[in-house]
Amino acid sequence: MGERLREIERSAEEIIQTFLKSTENLPEMKETYYSLEAYNVVRPDGEPSPEEERRKFRERFISIMPRSDEKGNLRVEVATWLKER
Amino acid sequence: MNIKIGFEVHQQIATRRKMYCNCPTNYQDVPPNTNVCPICTGMPGAKPLPPNQRAVEAAVEIALMLGCRVYTNQTIYIQRKHYDYPDLPSGYQRTSLPLAGGGSLLGVRIREIHLEEDPGQYDPLGGNVDYNRSGIPLVEIVTEPDMKSPEEARNFLRALVRVLEYTGKVRPEAGGAMRADVNISLEGGGRVEVKNVNSIKGAYRALRYEVIRQREKLKRGLSVERETRAFLESQMVTVPMRVKETEEDYRYIPDPDIFPLILDEGWVEKIRERMAEPPHLRESRLISEYKITRAAAEVIVSERELADLYEAVAREVDPKLVAIWFRTRLKKVLNYMKLRAADIKFTPAQLAGLLRMVRDRQLTPEQGELVLRELAKHPAEPEKIIARLGLFPIKREELLPIIARVIEENQKAVEDYRSGKEEAINFLTGKVLQLTGRRADPREITRLLIEKIGKK
Amino acid sequence: MAEGTLAKLARIRGGELSAAENVASALERIQELDRRINSFIELNPNALAEAEAVDRKIKRGERVGKLAGLTIGVKSNINVAGLRATCASRTLQNYVSPYDAEVIKRIRAEDGIIIGMNNMDEFACGSSGETSAFGPTDNPAAPGHIPGGSSSGGAAAIAARLCDLCLGTDTGGSIRNPASHCGIVGLKPTYGLVPRQGLIDLGMSLDQIGPLSADVAGTALLLETIAGRSDNECIMLKVDRVNYSELLREKSLKGMRIGISEKFSELTDPAIMKVIDGQIEKLRDLGAEIVEVDLPNLERGLSAYYLIVSVEFFSGTRKFDGRKYGRRIEDVCGEEVLRRILRGRYISQKEYRGKFYQRALQVRTLVRRELLAAFERVDVIVGPTVPKLPHRLGTKITPMEMYAYDYLTVPANLAGICAGVVNAGRVNGIPVGLQVQGRVLGEPEVLRVMQALEAAG
Repeated sequence: MGERLREIERSAEEIIQTFLKSTENLPEMKETYYSLEAYNVVRPDGEPSPEEERRKFRERFISIMPRSDEKGNLRVEVATWLKER
Repeated sequence: MNIKIGFEVHQQIATRRKMYCNCPTNYQDVPPNTNVCPICTGMPGAKPLPPNQRAVEAAVEIALMLGCRVYTNQTIYIQRKHYDYPDLPSGYQRTSLPLAGGGSLLGVRIREIHLEEDPGQYDPLGGNVDYNRSGIPLVEIVTEPDMKSPEEARNFLRALVRVLEYTGKVRPEAGGAMRADVNISLEGGGRVEVKNVNSIKGAYRALRYEVIRQREKLKRGLSVERETRAFLESQMVTVPMRVKETEEDYRYIPDPDIFPLILDEGWVEKIRERMAEPPHLRESRLISEYKITRAAAEVIVSERELADLYEAVAREVDPKLVAIWFRTRLKKVLNYMKLRAADIKFTPAQLAGLLRMVRDRQLTPEQGELVLRELAKHPAEPEKIIARLGLFPIKREELLPIIARVIEENQKAVEDYRSGKEEAINFLTGKVLQLTGRRADPREITRLLIEKIGKK
Repeated sequence: MAEGTLAKLARIRGGELSAAENVASALERIQELDRRINSFIELNPNALAEAEAVDRKIKRGERVGKLAGLTIGVKSNINVAGLRATCASRTLQNYVSPYDAEVIKRIRAEDGIIIGMNNMDEFACGSSGETSAFGPTDNPAAPGHIPGGSSSGGAAAIAARLCDLCLGTDTGGSIRNPASHCGIVGLKPTYGLVPRQGLIDLGMSLDQIGPLSADVAGTALLLETIAGRSDNECIMLKVDRVNYSELLREKSLKGMRIGISEKFSELTDPAIMKVIDGQIEKLRDLGAEIVEVDLPNLERGLSAYYLIVSVEFFSGTRKFDGRKYGRRIEDVCGEEVLRRILRGRYISQKEYRGKFYQRALQVRTLVRRELLAAFERVDVIVGPTVPKLPHRLGTKITPMEMYAYDYLTVPANLAGICAGVVNAGRVNGIPVGLQVQGRVLGEPEVLRVMQALEAAG
């Protein structure tokens, strides 16, 4: 398993090397984080979503949970740092 | 020993919708996982809605209240802060770059203010998660480690809560709407972070515990390592969360699904104009403008609605008198009835009317307090209340015979007073009060008694 | 020659062909052929019932939508409520979508019938169609060869006429690459034109959902159904729906300035270039002006792309922790997926951000600038879609060799522009697609050129 992982890590780095080489002589310039340029796109506060919509989603959400309890909580692991006490 | 304390305070902002989706925010009133949708539960493929505008405005207002400089005309990215924890549905938290900084409160410097979203609620003992709270907008306030004692830290938090409530834009402190990460270091030791303290009292206790714990270690020549600890409120102790505090790399990137913000100066100025006067500034102004004591001003500004009420009433009646009443009797009535100033239903005019009557001696102060209590319970015009309570002040002609009778029936007390026992006069006053059904001013009664007894 | 999309649509609306019949025959064909092709992972058990509902509307003379009765395959990284959006991975093998993606809502509103979930490269991390946890997909237009990826199933399904239209996604060429290999039509829309709500991320700043079809008319039809402003997400262009089908009535290319670049020949197999050059001649004959454009930094885009997409994919996969649904991704995913996660994790470290991630974003600026400058002089840029012919299924190639398929397609994603593919011919029986790149919101011009080439045969 470790061997496979190491191989994947190594092959992952190849294109990084290619990148470094191909950009060696490139000057610094501004970064493009977004394909679209826009700012301050915000949403007004107001009436929350309708209950019916959320009821339907809740049903489906709970049905795909690996483990849940009767109240609808998602069951996950107990905190490890507490286990030690 | 040199102590340095700093806070990272997370305060929930009062909005109807969550930060990045339209789910409702009343997470404590509903069954688990009810106020949820694909976005706030981190379903595969779910994309955030544009950020909640009111949350952005509230964060800016809070920053202004704390005397910060708002970072205008700069690109403020919403970033992804990656870490693994059961309450974080997408494996990262959306948190903005600082919106403002460089403020201060009570001499403690405010380093930065930014916007975040609340994760869900994870019960580490029970091993379950409820996402109702996930996505509620938070403002994070980071201070410099300028506090030097747990007491100073507690005072700071109290003052901070007051400022936050003044905006009217935060959820009330109770019930975890405000949480703090507390940083403390002692001279010679590393910085310890105590996470998720949920109340001012808790913060104070955690700090006291830490001061003792760290001091002991240093005394014994042990080193205090840099670490993260958790505060267990029920046992009032802190426990290690991670044995070695490694600086976790959150791998911040600007969130590619949310456009950045650029705050406009003009828009910020409009918020500054519209916002409530910060409590510490209002306190100073009340003192200088109305010439009242600091003690009174402090009580008056403890709640914004109380200060608003004060200024409305002080327009009509002597501000100094009003101030005294606010500091003593009104505060007493509100505490007794467990009312917040925001819950007051009577009008400034009604209160002014009452105080005018007290000022003009149509009522004794004690009677006034009775009326006030009634006013708080069932708001009405003071005259009506007075009539209902039968509190018409007693006339002098009515009072004198009663005084005579009490003197006659309590000769021993009279003798005691004549022979120098001052307290006897209080006993006699009390008797008169009983008979007058509280309709007379005890000071007046005492004065008349002394006069009468003297004559004899 | 099989029936065109619009012709079939007309027959359904006219009552000649019922939607139910259309669905039934699709299901039959899938039953017959898909075992070998493997283009579908799951079929929609309600498809027939949904078709019958459309037929009832038609019988009653009610208005029916643009896609009335047409069968639509959906790539398995798009949420369709009730069906499994597996992303062809064991991570989400049993993940039943609890909600519809925005594009699915739009398709349903126009009475399109979702026939099933298409196979793909696992989590869209591939260019061949070989990395699915549900087995590789074959190329019906060149059996035994890869269909391309990552929208492998959608392209193959169209090529084998298993359904009328397919939704694919394109991050670095994942619609265009398989469209080229399978000899069909595909389009990557302008970034921000089509809503991504419900699309499971590969690279958030690069992904776009787009159509795959047998003809340009089908692509235009599906595009106009899914494109246009949405209030249900943040990163969107605020543009109204455009009726591309209507715009396609304009057939003439006279006066259109079409860009070509030497760079393409430098990077591409000469046999492919020969086919492409033949098409360029046709464009000249049709009255277009052919203009040489400079794209000196084009090939730098590839490595920059892979760095950016790795960081974004690492971020987007943090939610697959196995707690709420599915399994923890690192525990069960395939090699290429793990490769990208590890690479992303590595280069997004604090100390490396400037060196790798931010630097890659600078190269993006460069590639983008160059392309946008070219569009000042031309309306579209045409050229090959892939630099080499698709290999035979199962051929062992290195990751770098696999990435090399993307040289000519990633620039459009980095720049956020639109790009379509239409079949240009064959080399040794293997389809070769011609790529038409357009400026931001330049879909009408791109489609017009594609239409002209399709008509010219």
